[in-house]
Amino acid sequence: MSTSIASTDLATEPVTGRLGRFGRWQVAATRWVNWVIVGVLVALTLVALLAPVIAPYDPVQPVGAPYLPVGSSGHLLGTDNIGRDLFSRVILGVRTSWLMALVVVAVGLLIGGVVGVVAGAFGGWVDAILMRITDMFLALPAAIVAIAVAAALGPGLRNTFLAITVVWWPYYARIIRGEIRALAARPHVEAARMAGAGRLRIMAKHLLPGVYPTALVTASLDIGAVVLTLASLSFLGLGQSAPAPELGADTSRGMNELLAHWWIPVMPGLAVMVLSLVANLAGDAVRTLMAGRR
Amino acid sequence: MFNLAMARFLLTRLAALVGLLLVLSLLLFVLQEISGADPVAASMPHAEKSAIDAKRHELGLDDPAPTRYVRYVGDLLHLDLGTSFRTHHAVTTDLKTYLPPTVELVVVALVVALALALLFSVSSVLRWPGSGLYRGLLFVGSTTPTFLLGIFGLIVFYQDLGWLPASGQVDDPDTVPASWHWLLLDSLVHGDLGMFGDVAKHLVMPALALAIGPALAIGRIFRSSIVATFDSDFVRTARSKGLAEGAVLTRHVLRNSVNGALSMTGLHLGFMFAGVLVVESVFSRPGLGSYLGASLDVSDFPAVAGVTFVLATIYIVTNTVVDILQGIADPRITV
Repeated sequence: MSTSIASTDLATEPVTGRLGRFGRWQVAATRWVNWVIVGVLVALTLVALLAPVIAPYDPVQPVGAPYLPVGSSGHLLGTDNIGRDLFSRVILGVRTSWLMALVVVAVGLLIGGVVGVVAGAFGGWVDAILMRITDMFLALPAAIVAIAVAAALGPGLRNTFLAITVVWWPYYARIIRGEIRALAARPHVEAARMAGAGRLRIMAKHLLPGVYPTALVTASLDIGAVVLTLASLSFLGLGQSAPAPELGADTSRGMNELLAHWWIPVMPGLAVMVLSLVANLAGDAVRTLMAGRR
Repeated sequence: MFNLAMARFLLTRLAALVGLLLVLSLLLFVLQEISGADPVAASMPHAEKSAIDAKRHELGLDDPAPTRYVRYVGDLLHLDLGTSFRTHHAVTTDLKTYLPPTVELVVVALVVALALALLFSVSSVLRWPGSGLYRGLLFVGSTTPTFLLGIFGLIVFYQDLGWLPASGQVDDPDTVPASWHWLLLDSLVHGDLGMFGDVAKHLVMPALALAIGPALAIGRIFRSSIVATFDSDFVRTARSKGLAEGAVLTRHVLRNSVNGALSMTGLHLGFMFAGVLVVESVFSRPGLGSYLGASLDVSDFPAVAGVTFVLATIYIVTNTVVDILQGIADPRITV
């Protein structure tokens, strides 16, 4: 998982030193657009948090006629084969996928951060051992290992979460360790050491703050990839068990209906795509905004 | 080329390969312990507890964990992956049936992905009217889940246009000779072009659905190295000696931009092995995906571990080969 699946490098111009035709105005406009995208990300998180309030119907109970098409009155995204409201299911599925992706990234960042900071700050054999372990994880195919872990732990969303987290932290550990090593060679750390600051104090006061920008950018670029991995695993049947709504699992279960009632699998699938698109755009926006600060 | 540095480089890579395979086996062993899967209880569903315990003792399943791990590694070396709880066959026997269609799909998809990556990267470097929109489209494509690409393909090319078949490997599985496992290869070797065309037609959509994600990721890396290479001194030299822009691109820029794309390809092979399971499920193709899916439904851990072991091993070996190839292509890496 050492790269997020997508990044706008294909979509955006390479950064050149000179300003475009519109000069400063263009820079200001780009900043504005980036803040709007970050705003969308925040809005999406709010939607996820408030999903039970937003959803008009109970997502697991039949509430209308089965197979109502998209745009039916009262059922914006239609209903499924037993008459459950797809909009309600999708909104609650978005809640599950989005919040879980955020938590996977946060926990991965925490574990990877601790490993990376300790390895980078202590150096020597601590560094060697921690990084060998990290490299071992990085050299195994993460998605396949996650499948095996989820299968061993048994079905259920909690176990899928654990499985993805297990394979997700090593990448962060590598990046953060590299950043710490670079920082440790800088004069202000040298000065602190000369002034007699202890190892822990240097770690907390002089190394850690320097890691936050990189960590933030890496994490935000990664959320989309987590969303996609999560959806793929639950599409394979390693995720939420029926009847609770979950985007990947709902798409998978709706596949039988694809040719006659396309909206049943397509709507939850499209929701996954929207989540991943917003996450990737926001990741790039965060990267651009952070680059502007330094 | 074959000097001391190269020999040391090869040796360390091979040692790392062996080490990784050991780590993989340890991981699967630990997971098997966690899963609590009991092959004896599964094979003797109606037996008394004492009979089960006796059988466990006979098979050495009550030995301490290190002893069992050593035996597990020995079994793996003999390609003994245990017995599936579901099919009651040796997992290795099952894999012989289900691995070939999956490998064929992945290999075809990999070739398609590399071709598309080249196309995407070169076409997005160049500027033409609408290239901004085109790059935006590529970006949206890279955020689309594999199964949704498959679903769109099914709606457009099967339902609306009727150009491509929706499912399976061939139109009529009964016409396939029983001894053929590698359908694409076997039909070609036996000169059965009708069958070859049929198999190929069934591969188009799955291969494309599987290839587009990795193609965009590899293409992106390739594109940024192309952009970086265009700025380098030897490109300026090539231009100033009067080479046409096309010749500069093909002869100097592309060749020097391949390396990053290569390591990205190795990495994405791992994603493709996970993606192929999804794609097989979308297009109802026989293969490891259907085998894994059925095994997951009944918590058949030996089967899941077998699939994991085979796919991870292919991944690790391929990445080692890619590493070594990079070392040969660019000897600076070996130092």
